[in-house]
Formats: sequence, C-alpha cells, structure tokens
Amino acid sequence: MTSVKPEVQQESQKRKKKLHAQQIKDRFISIFIGIFAIAWIFPIAWTLWSSLRPYKEIRAGGVFSPPQELGLFNYAEAIDRMQLPQYFWNTVVITVPAVFLILLFGSLIAFVVTRYSFRFNVAMLLLFTAGNLLPAQLVFIPVFKMYLAIGDAVGDRRFLYDSPIGVILIHVAFQMGFATFVLSSYMKTIPKEISESAMMDGASVFRHYFTVILPLLRPPLASLGVLMTTWIYNDFFWALVLMSTDNKRPITSALGRLQGEFVTDYNLLAAGAMIAALPTLLVFFILRKQFVSGLTLGATKG
Amino acid sequence: MSRVGTAAQPRVISPQKRRRFFSRGDKFTLGFFIGIPTILHIGLVWFPALATIYLSFTYWTGINPQDIVWAGLANYENILFNTPIFWEALRVNAIWLGWFFVIATPLGVLLAYQIDREIRGHKFYQSAYYLPVVLSLAVTGIIWNFLLRPDGFVNGLLGLEISEAISFFGDDRYNVWVIMIMASWRHIGYIMLLYLAGLKAVDSALREAATIDGATEWQTFRKVVFPAMRPVNVIVLVITIIESLRAFDMVYIIYGGRGGLPILGVLVFENIAGEGASMKGAAYAVILFLLSIVPIIAYLNQQFKEDDR
Amino acid sequence: MLNKIAGHELDRRLLLKGAAAGGLGIAGATMLAGCAPGSSGPVSFGARTVDESPTIQLKGLVDAYTAKTGNEVTYNATEANAFQNNLSQYLQGTPDDCFQWMAGYRMQFFAAQGLLVDISDVWNEIGDQYNESYKIASTGLDGKQYFVPQSWYPWGLHFRKSMMAEIGLNPEDIYNWDQFMGALEELKGQGLIGLAAADKGGWEAMGTFDILNARINGYQFHVDLLGGREKWTDDRVKEVFRHWEMLLPYQNTNVLDLEWDGAMQLLLQKQAGFFMNGSWFGANFLEQSQEDYDDLWIVPFPEINPDHGRDTIDAPIDGFCVAKNGSNNAGGKDLIKFAGDMEGVQAQLDTGIPMTSANNGQDRSTYDAFQNQQLAVMSEAKYITQFLDRDTRPDFAGPVVGPAFQSWFKDPSSTDSILESLQSQWDALPPL
Repeated sequence: MTSVKPEVQQESQKRKKKLHAQQIKDRFISIFIGIFAIAWIFPIAWTLWSSLRPYKEIRAGGVFSPPQELGLFNYAEAIDRMQLPQYFWNTVVITVPAVFLILLFGSLIAFVVTRYSFRFNVAMLLLFTAGNLLPAQLVFIPVFKMYLAIGDAVGDRRFLYDSPIGVILIHVAFQMGFATFVLSSYMKTIPKEISESAMMDGASVFRHYFTVILPLLRPPLASLGVLMTTWIYNDFFWALVLMSTDNKRPITSALGRLQGEFVTDYNLLAAGAMIAALPTLLVFFILRKQFVSGLTLGATKG
Repeated sequence: MSRVGTAAQPRVISPQKRRRFFSRGDKFTLGFFIGIPTILHIGLVWFPALATIYLSFTYWTGINPQDIVWAGLANYENILFNTPIFWEALRVNAIWLGWFFVIATPLGVLLAYQIDREIRGHKFYQSAYYLPVVLSLAVTGIIWNFLLRPDGFVNGLLGLEISEAISFFGDDRYNVWVIMIMASWRHIGYIMLLYLAGLKAVDSALREAATIDGATEWQTFRKVVFPAMRPVNVIVLVITIIESLRAFDMVYIIYGGRGGLPILGVLVFENIAGEGASMKGAAYAVILFLLSIVPIIAYLNQQFKEDDR
Repeated sequence: MLNKIAGHELDRRLLLKGAAAGGLGIAGATMLAGCAPGSSGPVSFGARTVDESPTIQLKGLVDAYTAKTGNEVTYNATEANAFQNNLSQYLQGTPDDCFQWMAGYRMQFFAAQGLLVDISDVWNEIGDQYNESYKIASTGLDGKQYFVPQSWYPWGLHFRKSMMAEIGLNPEDIYNWDQFMGALEELKGQGLIGLAAADKGGWEAMGTFDILNARINGYQFHVDLLGGREKWTDDRVKEVFRHWEMLLPYQNTNVLDLEWDGAMQLLLQKQAGFFMNGSWFGANFLEQSQEDYDDLWIVPFPEINPDHGRDTIDAPIDGFCVAKNGSNNAGGKDLIKFAGDMEGVQAQLDTGIPMTSANNGQDRSTYDAFQNQQLAVMSEAKYITQFLDRDTRPDFAGPVVGPAFQSWFKDPSSTDSILESLQSQWDALPPL
C-alpha cells in the first residue's frame, strides 16, 4: 500500500470512479429490465390467478372483483373433462421418437460432413438448412397425398396418415436441417486430431461416430433436445392436417378443441391452458443450465 | 486451441490415402448414415415443394388427381389482380417484418447482452423472458385472450362495459399491433437465447480489454462484441425474416384460420386446406416461398464464405 | 342447378300434412325397425361438435343404435371449426363411416367429388317420413341422395320476452323496417345494444346478408346472385349494404371480436335486445337454466320491400352423410338410416335437448312454446334458403365472401370497392 506510486494511485482511482459510475448504471439497467420482466410474466400470472376463480364470480362482479372463492376446482374439472392422460400420452408418442430421430440423423450428417471431405459436403449442408426454412404450407398437399398413397400401397391407410408415425416423420424431415446446422457448427470446434487419431487406430466409421464423436456432442445435443421438444410439443399444424381422429392428436390440438368446448367458462379454459403448459415448463427449468451452454451455434471463438 | 498434434505424426492425410481407410463396411455405414436422412428429407420436403410449385399452375380441388387441369398463370393473376386481401396480407407481413427487425430483434439482442454481463438478477430475468417461448401457441392465444377480450383485464382496467369494450382483435386500428406485441412476447425471448448462446462463445477477455481501454459500453458492443458475433448475427437476421414471413400459428389460433387479420401463411391455409380448396392456395404458398428464398440464399451465401475460410 | 338446391319451395300443405301424419310416421317406423338388418359390424361416427347439448343428443342416438342392433359405435368428436377446415382431407383420408354434415352445396360438392356414398336405397326405405323439400335438399347434382336430414332451424330475430316487456316493446308487433328501426332506437335510448352481432368466424354475418337481400330484392335475385347469374356490382346489392349500414349504429362495436356464442352472451346477459341467428342456440340457453330458455323467443326479420313481404327465410338443414372412404359403408348407411328413422329421432328427443326434427313423425304436440314459434316463423315463409355458405361454391363462400364481409365491417364506406372485388373474384374462379 505504502509503495504505490502516485500516478498509479490516481489511475486506479479514476478506474474506481468509472467502475462506480458503471455500477450505478448497471443497477439502473437491472431495475429497468426487471420491470419489463415482471410485465413479461404478468399475462401468465393473470391467467394463473383467473384459473383459481370461478367464472361466475367474474361475470357477476367483473375481473377485478375481490375473490370470494379460490381453489383448484377448475383444475379438477379440467382434468376430468379434458381426458388429459390420453392427450399427454399422444404428445409423448410423437415428441420422444421425433426428437430422438432428429438428434440421431442431425448428428450423423453433421458427423459425415465435418469429418470426411466429400465433394458434396457443402451441397448437403445447403440442402438441409434451406429445407428447414421452407414454409410448411408449401409441402402440405403433396405430403398428404403421398401419405395416403403409401398407406394404400402398404395396405393400411392409417400407416402414415392419421398415425403418429406420419407426424413424426414430417417433423424429422423438417427439423433435421436445424439440428444438422447446429451440430456441424459445433463439430467444427472439435479438433480434427481427435478424429484422425481414431482413424489411425483403424476404428471403423461406426466406432468413430459412436465412441469418439457422440460423447463429445453431449452439450449441444442436450440443448437441441430441449429446443426440439418445445417446438414439436407446441406444433399443432401437422397434427391438425395429418390426423383425422381427434383423440390421437397431441395436447396442443386438444386445446383448440377445448376452446370450443369451454367457451362459456373461460376460467376453466385457463386451468386447461396452465395444465398443458406444465410439461414444457418443467423440461425447461430442469435443463435450463445445459440449455444455453450447449447452443454455441457456430460462433467461432476468438 | 492449444492442442496441436505431435510433430512426428503426419497431420495432413491426403484424400487418396484417406479413402483407402474405408473398408466395405465403412462405405456401407457412411452410405447408411447419409442415405436415410437424405431420402427422408428430399422425399418429404423438397419433392413436395416442387410438386406444389407445379400445382400452382393448375386448377384442382385437391381431391382427384385426374381432375387436374393446366391453368397457366391464372391463379397468380387471380391473386395479384383480383384479390385485394393479398395486398392487405402482404402489408401485414411487411409490418411484421419491420417491427421484428427494428424493435423485437434488437431488444432481444440488447437483453442478451445485458444478461450476459451478469447484471443483478440475470438468472431470473433470463427465465422470465424465455418463459413465453416454451409455452405453446394455443396456450399463448388463450392467455392473451384473457387480457384483451371484451370482459378481460385491459378493458376492465379502462372501465369499459362489454358493449363499448375496445375490440383489440377486431378493430383494424389495434389488431396488427396487438398481434405484434404478442409475437414479440415470444420472439424477444427466443432471440435473447440464441444471442446469449453466441455471446457465451465470445472470448470475455476481449470485452474486458475493451472496457479497460476506456471504451464506453456502447462502443464495446458495437466495435468488439457485434463484429465478433457475425455468424450469430446472420442467423438471428434470417430467423427474424423467416419468422415474420412464415407467421401462421398465432394468427390461426386467434382468428381460427378465417379472415380477421390477413397474413400470407393463413391465406395459404385457408385456400389450400379448407372446404373449398383450390390451387390458388398453392400459388400463395409459392409466393411465400419466393419471398423467403431470398433470405435463405443470403444466409447460405454466408455459410459458404465461412466454409471457405 | 343452384335453383334446385336452395330453391326448394316449402310446400306448406306438405308441411302441415306431415304434422298431421305424426302418429302414422311412428307406426311406419316400428314396422321398418322390424326388418332392419342390423348386423353390419362396428361403425364409427364423426360428430362435428364438442358442445355439451348436441353431444348429449348424438350420444343418445348412438347409444340407442347400439342397444337396438348390438353394433358397437365409436364416437369421434371434433370441434366444428377444425372439422370444417379439415373436411376435404378428412374425407379423402380415413373418415368415420358416417358423419354429421350439412345439406346444400356443401354436401353436393363432396358428393360430386365421389367422396360420399349414394344412399338412395336408404331414402327408399325412410323417404316417406320426410317432405319432398327435405328430399330435394338431400339430393346431389346427379339426382341421387347423399344425405339424411336430422334437424332444421330458422334464422330470425331472437329476443328475451321479459326484457322487451320491461322496456315496453312488443317485437311481435314489428312487421316492417321502420318499426324495427324504431325499436332499435328505443333500445339504444335505454343504453342497450339494439342488435347483437358477430363475425369473427367469417360466416355469422352471412345470415344477415341473406335476409336483407331476400327482403329487399326477393328470393329469386338472391339465388341468382349466389349462383353467379346476377352481379355483385348490381345496384340492388348496394341497396342491401345501404340497409345493413343503417343497422350498424345499433350493433355492438366489437362484431369482429365475437364469434356467434359471444353475441349470444350479449343476449343471455340482457345487454342486447335482438340477436339475428339460427335458433339452435336455444339449447345453450337451456344449459344455463329452464328460465332462460322459456324467456327466449323468435320473430321473422321485418319486411323491407312490400313486393316480397316476409316470404323468404334461411332455414339450414343439418344431418348425416356416409363417407366413401370409411371402412364400413354398409354400417355407416345402417346407422344413418336409424338416425333418419323416427326411432332414431325419438332417441335424440328423449335426451331432453330441444330439437326441431326434419322427420314428419316428430309429434308436434310435444313441441315446447319456443319450438312452436320456430315452426310458425318458418311457416310464414314461402321460400326457404339454406345459408350463404351452403348455397354457393365453397371456394367462394369461405375464402372470398367471408373476408369481404369482415372488411366491410371495418370500413362500411368501402362498399363499392368490396363489391367490385367480390365480382372480380367470382369471375376469376376456375370453371367447375
């Protein structure tokens, strides 16, 4: 302390002052962002609050009437009337295999494209990423017709159409592009030497992928998994147009149905919405940490 | 990047040499690895897309293939010259794009930047802003309807009776902006997350150096962080454009796929999938495709450049 | 062609004869039941509603069928909007054996595409229980039958008797337009909405257009307009919108925010005086309470042009079809034969949900007051139309007329340009 030269001290004081100013500014920013954050959550909170009240009360006294009756009765009734287990199961049957296949195929292509140099590598990457960005409505009629034709050829019209398999396949075909893109960007950051030594050891392509590369991909696979789960869980377009039996449809489509059914009781609808939102919220909060860290999205370091 | 192979070993394997590494089994595996996903992708995405382009030049109800009649440009002429709602939809999509481009996306980026600096409460903020993204659109629609319907929160706050309630989804003065706010509610969190992921990869030493050099925060962001984030910037830009052109779900949920607020995605659906399906819908889809192919090409161009490096 | 669909003239004598023959119908039905094959295996049934009352009614029908024949029935319900939006895919793919649908062009279009099963033989068996007009409504463009009617309901002005009495109005005395405008003014003076209206779904307002056009320009012009033989740019159509505009100050401001049930709520909660809609929503009132239901009443839309009086009414017919791509066509036919037969009708009536059946066998003495009034409103009319979206091309009604009316609500001063665009879009339709 005693041996510090005056200039240096001055310099550090200056920096401290600046830091101090920065701290004040930061606090300001923090409060500002905080206010917005509360505004962000408010719609959800309001729906949650409404879901705890009977609609009759609101109709009688308006939305701001003090609650006389609070409880989970809307939830009990919604669960009772929504056939929830059925619709949740439908969602699982579609989402889990779809996410698994997307990650598998995405990582396979990314692996081949980044680890082996073929002439068509760039073209492949192009094909998949561009495909991912096409509007779904563009392909809908031919896909529908193809599904029926394939079904007739196999002898079962419900082989692809009106079947979870068909919905899974279309999700996989579309979203594979995004997975390929994210994973190949990530793989570019894995040193080539790892692969080379594996090849020198005479590992087959199969072993190279499974034992060398795949374990290294855990972080982006985790975050992609979360992202894909929320996307597919939330999709209703494909389930709407490629399924005809309502009780095979996933929960998001079921909500549309409930909107028609509960039209005279909004608060019951609110409870239904909250229940349908629960699974993705849980997945998100459990995997929150891995989520961000896994998504480097091809940002090249330094 | 300090791990460098030992000098004794050959680090570069010539293509011929490498090719010899492939056993028959390897060739089979590689073919399998690439083949299955490629067939699936081409079969379910590119082939149908081309088929729709063909169909957009025909008259057809979408039911019996033998009824397909060549129509030339009739569907396009119909859309461009006889369908005022197409231009309305284009206008809404343009507003959507402008709003996302000027307001929602920059806000998401800004938020990511602040949260990445680990300001106080950043963990809570991150979750709060990301929350709407994980909610399904059906749920989003229900939630906002709670706030905005005639006997909902906002009209209640304004003290308006049902008979004089503001028609947030019906009145042209409000509906576009209401949908913009709803869309941003999701979009900002989404962009924030993507950008945050990118920022994590930017060397924090760089930024610290800049701060110490006396650069203001804005300067640091503009001169150091933003350029370093170029690849992510491109992705965010493309996502912004694509999302505003492809927008469908939210409007469909609110208006049930009929009129209300016209946007291209819903027009396609209404004309191609409804009871009175016609290939006018296919023509709409192709127009949508042409509009989105521009950013796709720009984006892929960027990818190309990077691969060259 | 269209003439045949929308233009079946309601033969009043036939209707009355049908009412008188109620008892006879039931006798015929029992005989028929005796010789029904009833061994067609499991059947699936597609309902285009998830609402409470119609679901109870349809389940009553399905249960009675199972009890009678021992055939198992799978009941699949889809929300009405989603069902309609997806109907083409549904029928091409893996539809239920029989499903709930509507008469008119919406049935004929899919019949012409080969997606429905010809059920002329079912009509041979149960046809004598229906008036000729219902048979015409069930007939496709090729002259064969594809549809079994379930129920009908008139479109008219609904109101709450107690509410009008309180204000001192008697809507039954309202005969012409001026009296109607006076009543609306009175309601407005009381701080009430005169006429509850909705058009968020894009179809609700079509009912108002239909009746205004029929009242001002007559039945024939209306049918010709929807058939493309008259032009939307005609001054007579502008006249319709001029009258419609006069109604706007008395309507709720959020027409485009509400679907039909939202407008119904305005009537239910006594915030609005009149509600122009089909009478089916009586069941929703009954869901609330018997008191609400008993308070509900309907009168015909007022006369505007004395040349046409109150001679036309929208009275859509709902019913059932058999899907060609279903796995059990014979079973589907068997089920809808039961549904169309008095025995099946009775099963639906037994659920206690009010229904005005198309079947002559329904004992009209069991009609409640509101149903009798519906019948009276219907009987006053000489011509029956279905509804705009059932009386014209489906690729015109939904994607073109729906949005056009919606944009008219946004800017009523743009009538001319909207009508021009309607006509040019009609002209640009592909040949059928």
